[in-house]
Amino acid sequence: MTEFALAWKAMTASWAVPAAFFGVFWGIIGGALPGISPSIAMALLLPFTYSLDPITAVVLLASVYVGAEYGGSIPAILIRTPGTNSAAATVLDGFEMHRRGRGGEALGISLVSGLVGGLFGLALLALLTEPLARVALAFTPPAYFGLGILGLSVIASLTGRTLVKGLIAGVLGFMVATIGTDPVSGVSRFTFGSPDLLGGIRPILIMVGLFAVSELMAQVIEPPWAHADQRTARLKLPDWATWKRMFKPHAIGCVIGSIEGVTPGAGGTIAAFLSYNEARRWSKHPEEFGHGSIEGIAAPECANNVVTGTALVPLLGLGIPGSNSAAVLLGGFLIHGLTPGPMLFERSPEVVYGLYAGLFVANIAMLLLGLVILTPCLWLVNCPKPYLMAFILALIVYAMRGFGLPFLPMVLGVVLGFLVESNYRRSLVLSGGDHAIFVQDPIALGMLVCAAAMIAVSVSRELRASRRKTGEAAP
Amino acid sequence: MTYRTRRLIGGIALGIAVIVLGATPGATQGKYPHATVTLVTHSSPGGGSDVFLRTLARYLGPRMGDNFVVSNVRGGSGASAVAKVAQAPADGSTFYATTPTYIQTTLLSKPEFGYDSLMPVVVVFLDPEVIYTRAQSPHKSLAEAVDFARRNPAKARWGAANPASLERIALERMSRMTGARVPVVSHEGGGDLMINVLNGTLDIGIGEVQEIRGQIDSGQIRLLAVLTDKRLPDFPDLPTAKEQDVNLVVTKFRGLAGPKNLPPAVLAAWEEAIQSVLADPAYKKEYAHESLVPVFMPHDQAAAFTDGFVKEVTTSLRDLGVIK
Repeated sequence: MTEFALAWKAMTASWAVPAAFFGVFWGIIGGALPGISPSIAMALLLPFTYSLDPITAVVLLASVYVGAEYGGSIPAILIRTPGTNSAAATVLDGFEMHRRGRGGEALGISLVSGLVGGLFGLALLALLTEPLARVALAFTPPAYFGLGILGLSVIASLTGRTLVKGLIAGVLGFMVATIGTDPVSGVSRFTFGSPDLLGGIRPILIMVGLFAVSELMAQVIEPPWAHADQRTARLKLPDWATWKRMFKPHAIGCVIGSIEGVTPGAGGTIAAFLSYNEARRWSKHPEEFGHGSIEGIAAPECANNVVTGTALVPLLGLGIPGSNSAAVLLGGFLIHGLTPGPMLFERSPEVVYGLYAGLFVANIAMLLLGLVILTPCLWLVNCPKPYLMAFILALIVYAMRGFGLPFLPMVLGVVLGFLVESNYRRSLVLSGGDHAIFVQDPIALGMLVCAAAMIAVSVSRELRASRRKTGEAAP
Repeated sequence: MTYRTRRLIGGIALGIAVIVLGATPGATQGKYPHATVTLVTHSSPGGGSDVFLRTLARYLGPRMGDNFVVSNVRGGSGASAVAKVAQAPADGSTFYATTPTYIQTTLLSKPEFGYDSLMPVVVVFLDPEVIYTRAQSPHKSLAEAVDFARRNPAKARWGAANPASLERIALERMSRMTGARVPVVSHEGGGDLMINVLNGTLDIGIGEVQEIRGQIDSGQIRLLAVLTDKRLPDFPDLPTAKEQDVNLVVTKFRGLAGPKNLPPAVLAAWEEAIQSVLADPAYKKEYAHESLVPVFMPHDQAAAFTDGFVKEVTTSLRDLGVIK
């Protein structure tokens, strides 16, 4: 019970509660603005935490993360542009729902799914940090390679009959991911001498180009259906029947989000895509996916909010920041002379339990703010910044539309390209060039087998479907 | 914060976050020609150089009678910050917090404004690098780890945080120097590297003390050697690499540089102020906690030091095949 007492004391004796509310508010705005990632939204507030007491400071930063992971879904649903990388999967069905005039419902589903995920992730963080930290340690470079391949295997089931086009788009994404500093040797690749390209091209720029700008260009020549549904952008919380349908995708999102959050480097994006795919596989209505499915929003939005809790596991359990956002939070700890890691529980338990309590408040704040904040967010996402790179990419992308190339494989290629490439090569450095390392590592082997199974299942399903179709068409 | 993380965050959009520090403008001594001095860093808020500048400014403010503004100019792996300072007036109003990064970025990507567009003012600290292993490892010293690598060339694995980092250069040199010929695996930052040391994928890792303080405190890792000339005061039992017959010293520095042609009076004011700040007992306590080694170098020495450093890194990067 002392933990609860400490948490209560931390909440009441500091400014943590207002900080949680403000942090979530700030996070939702940052998350909703494409280009401001959760970690950037946190980093922008970091200088202001110097003068705060440690508990308020870390609660503020962690709350920004919670808000941003939710906020990213708002533009994903409303303008087909994920505000954060991990909201990219939400575009698939969220925007379709909006297009069909059910935008408010989609926003409600994403809000409650985020709440469910956030609270589940927090519960795991508070109860199981130590055993979960061991999961993080089990991931070696070959295992990360396997994880990346598993993520990419989603392409097979996402694109279905147009598998070849999906693969082409995926390769395009991979090519973009090779821009920047070579992960093993440090040589600059395809940077043409520009120091701005040394860090690579950020996935969010690709997404803005892929989804938003190409959408604008497409609207110029397409029937203006988008005008009709402005009025639907009011929040509608799910009813009981919807809740019942969301149970399964929430369960899937919670499990996948937990595993991905705990393993450093994997993060919310991969969790969201894998959850989307699994939700479709286990759904009673897989045909609705891609056409405005409730489950297609619930699963990824739940998963990326689970990550807001579980991504802190390696930070608190091992002292290792597992994601960019956790790295900024680490900065927040260090500023106040606190070193995250197992010793923090002994030296400053009030900060740890204060952080847990603050995260709880933040999740509640997310629900409350989500209910009232939509109108200003709508206004904000309607004034996007001009991105030169996004525009250039949009021209390519417009051509992609013309050829019917799907976008999501390209996003996956960009997001996972670096993870797959760097860990593939790192593994080979470790093994001295021997590919057997990928089957010797049990986790890597498991991931690769799963990926192979996923590809095989979806390819055979599509083959059967197309055979049936030609069979029907023949007589 | 890891290198890659900093780069990612710095990609765009963060722009400039400016914070006026709580220096006391009233305590003017009237010596310095500017009331407000901008200290520019490529590091994001909370990153290594950012913390260095903010802490330094807190002690410099009352001494120099100035307001210090820390400006985080992100982007281009440090090139944007260097460009900003290089184009600022050379009157002592703008300075840049130097680390090996600005030299490496210049060598790797040849931006318009590089280290040679700036004038080194002072070098303040060295960041000591240590070699460590996990607590369960059989290696009790660097000598043992090197010996193991020599006897088991197929088994030993060493790791450094980033591909073109000083740390990787150091391990590659150690590998050649000792004849161990161990593959050096590079990562995407310190966190990644730490995981692979803790789970036993790597025999040894290399990093700054302050970066791995959490794991040192909780007993997850064992320090094997420090890569400095002398032992560190806060780790008196930790032998240097030299003592273990590995002649490797890594000098990761922190200092200040300004636009070219700074007036001698400005240089002298900074030389004096930095010396007096370093002697301040309260500041001493803070930097000792971060395991920073004070090495005050005035302008002349700092310039010579920078030249020497550039030569060394150029040779090493060439040996690694990273640059031509």
